[in-house]
Amino acid sequence: MPARPQADRSGALAARFRSRIADIAVYLRTMIIFLLVWQGASMWIGNPILLPTPIDVAKSFAELAGSGELIDNTLASLWRLVLSFVLAAAVAIPLGFAMGLNRVVFDMIDPTVELLRPISGIAWIPLGLFILGIGDALPTAIMFYGAFFPLLINTITSVRSVDRSYVNAARTLGVGEATVLRQVIVPAALPGILVGARLAAGAGWMSMVAAELIGAPSGLGFAVEWYRELLMTPKVLAFIVLIGLMGYLFDRLLRAVQRSLTGWAEPRGA
Amino acid sequence: METLTPAPQPKLSLRDVGKEFVLPRTGERTVALESVDLDVAPGEFLCIVGPSGCGKTTILNMIAGLTQPTSGAITIDGKAIDGPGAERGVVFQDYALFPWKTVRENIEFGPRYRIGSTMTRQERGERVRQLIDLVALNGAENKYPYELSGGMRQRCAFARALANEPDVLLMDEPFAALDAQTRVILQEELLRIWGEEDAEAGRRTVVFITHGIDEAVFLADRIVVMSSHPGRITEIKSVELPRPRKPEIRASAAFQELVEEIWQLIRHEAYAATIRA
Amino acid sequence: MSRVTGSPFIRAAVLPVTLLVVWQLTVMLHTPSPRTPLPTHVVEEAWKLIGSGDLPLALLQSFWRVLAGFAWAAAFGLIFGALMGTYRAIDRSLDPLIESFRSIAPIALLPLAILWFGTGTPAAAFIVGYAAFFPMIVNTIHGVKSVDPQLIRAARTLGVGRFTILRTVVLPGALPYIFVGARLALGVAWTSIIAAELAVGAKAGGGSTGGIGQMMFVFYAYSVDLNGIIVCMISVGLVALVIDRGLRRLENWMLPWKR
Repeated sequence: MPARPQADRSGALAARFRSRIADIAVYLRTMIIFLLVWQGASMWIGNPILLPTPIDVAKSFAELAGSGELIDNTLASLWRLVLSFVLAAAVAIPLGFAMGLNRVVFDMIDPTVELLRPISGIAWIPLGLFILGIGDALPTAIMFYGAFFPLLINTITSVRSVDRSYVNAARTLGVGEATVLRQVIVPAALPGILVGARLAAGAGWMSMVAAELIGAPSGLGFAVEWYRELLMTPKVLAFIVLIGLMGYLFDRLLRAVQRSLTGWAEPRGA
Repeated sequence: METLTPAPQPKLSLRDVGKEFVLPRTGERTVALESVDLDVAPGEFLCIVGPSGCGKTTILNMIAGLTQPTSGAITIDGKAIDGPGAERGVVFQDYALFPWKTVRENIEFGPRYRIGSTMTRQERGERVRQLIDLVALNGAENKYPYELSGGMRQRCAFARALANEPDVLLMDEPFAALDAQTRVILQEELLRIWGEEDAEAGRRTVVFITHGIDEAVFLADRIVVMSSHPGRITEIKSVELPRPRKPEIRASAAFQELVEEIWQLIRHEAYAATIRA
Repeated sequence: MSRVTGSPFIRAAVLPVTLLVVWQLTVMLHTPSPRTPLPTHVVEEAWKLIGSGDLPLALLQSFWRVLAGFAWAAAFGLIFGALMGTYRAIDRSLDPLIESFRSIAPIALLPLAILWFGTGTPAAAFIVGYAAFFPMIVNTIHGVKSVDPQLIRAARTLGVGRFTILRTVVLPGALPYIFVGARLALGVAWTSIIAAELAVGAKAGGGSTGGIGQMMFVFYAYSVDLNGIIVCMISVGLVALVIDRGLRRLENWMLPWKR
């Protein structure tokens, strides 16, 4: 066994490479069939306003990219996304730690959280329009609100469910409270918090698109609605695709963060 | 009992220790331990055996400072115990290795973070290297706990507890989760590391909790036999087997007799507990 | 337990009561504009809206759309989820579609839905169904896959047929996950119906679509009644709470063996 770890490793690498290729092939096969069905359906309907062909959509995509409109709206949305997400994390995670560690703080804040949480971010849009007006502030605030609760709830739960035996082990090794927090509770709670971050990103992104659609002068949600009013459906679809892509990429990014920060966790599943 | 207390100043001393739990919901009281009196001499290897629910782990946790007795007093070197301390190392039943730290980082945890540690980085590195040699984890230094076998995890937890150079080592069924062969090997390893072959003065005080009677007989200088409902000490047995103990000793008549004697002390309760559960 | 920090009930009340009092006092002391919302006015408005039957009707209308959309989503989600959970080939082939579509925020499809279905109930139900479909299918797949194959083997050694295994082993094993999916699905469905109705109102210029989101839009755009908007927000929250708690109850009742 010890004589050939090299061969094993390269063999495993090749196997992984092959399965990756197979995955991509399956993916492409599915998407090609999907595009063909779409093309067929739109040719059969024959009304490009109702359902344009994928080729039309691709053309508008290229056109929008060329004119810079695509980049501008994407950047507008991206900026709001990052800003509100970072703000939500900066408030929700410390608060979640305080609530998870201290019973009194929890008792004081949790009922208010439970009162507000069922009111979705989207329900705040009309009131937000009054207070903040149409602009950058509204979508940012709505996404902050949407991302806040998943982050907070997951932080509280993760902090509370830290295995007592780790804390006990650290204490018997003679370390202080601050070290227990930094070296034990924070890393033990991290996987749960990161799950919360991904949920938060999903929920926040959804409410932000809604906010942009209703009350923003720029951004992907705004662009979708703008081109619908002009009945330019290919461009509507191009932006819809972009919204999906952005959501997907942000989730991928968070997953990568998750993997790199919790590499110590036992790999689960296949 | 006086005859069994070998040294004038015991390392650990439990005086009339009791522990009651109150269920938060119903307010119902359960007596986990009742008037436990026990002295542990410096350098002694003490095993505690007894059926499930007899409060073995509670005693250990109280010595470790993780829980307080509801009555009585526990002292170490004559000083009352309040809270955990680096001079009492603990090996937990499920090891409680930090999964986010590598073997090296786990072992280094005490020397690096404990309050008042004055070790330099170099000294720490040196100490960790010695411990890894001692428990034969060479090559696994940078692995995470999930990558280790059960026996390796156990050895890592042991090394982590030793890293603080504690006077007292508290072990809570440390070999319970291992297969029979690994257990036998690690028992011998434990005696070697404890210093069985050296002078008695150099040995640490060990309190070792176990289910296995033969394990207790093989390891211990004295065995505390407990019974449950409420948990209390039934009897304390001295093990007069010569040290260093070789595996062959298990086959000796003296060994078997002692095992049988202790088994007779607890078998009624063990049966009752098993069948009721 | 200490008397100093008070009972949990008092602790719970401190923050909301303080906020309400501060709100009421600041508004009363500073800007006596008739439009500025006040807690007392919100209560009056709520009373009026409930009494006239407008609010219950709007909530019912929205809830009806949610149920319609959710029924479609649940049916498709369960069927495809069960297939994908059972057959690996189907799973591999359909997974790319699900992964690609689930990151499209449902509300982004609203403009398309308006083009296809107009501004009535079908457009709203389409958005709701789209939103509810993904939690439903993802959790069903997960649930079916998570059934311990050892249990299926055990059932087979007991001489039980294929369909019985499905009914007595796979379904109960997957049900807790399906419930999680249903709870998530109804949650996002309820959120998206508000968004859809709001956006239909905002972009299609009112119309007679009705529903709670529409009501909020009318308060916002026509009568400029902030108290009314806040009443709507609170009722949206209450319905969300009722949906969530109701499903939890149902789950506890149907799955007594789960703790």
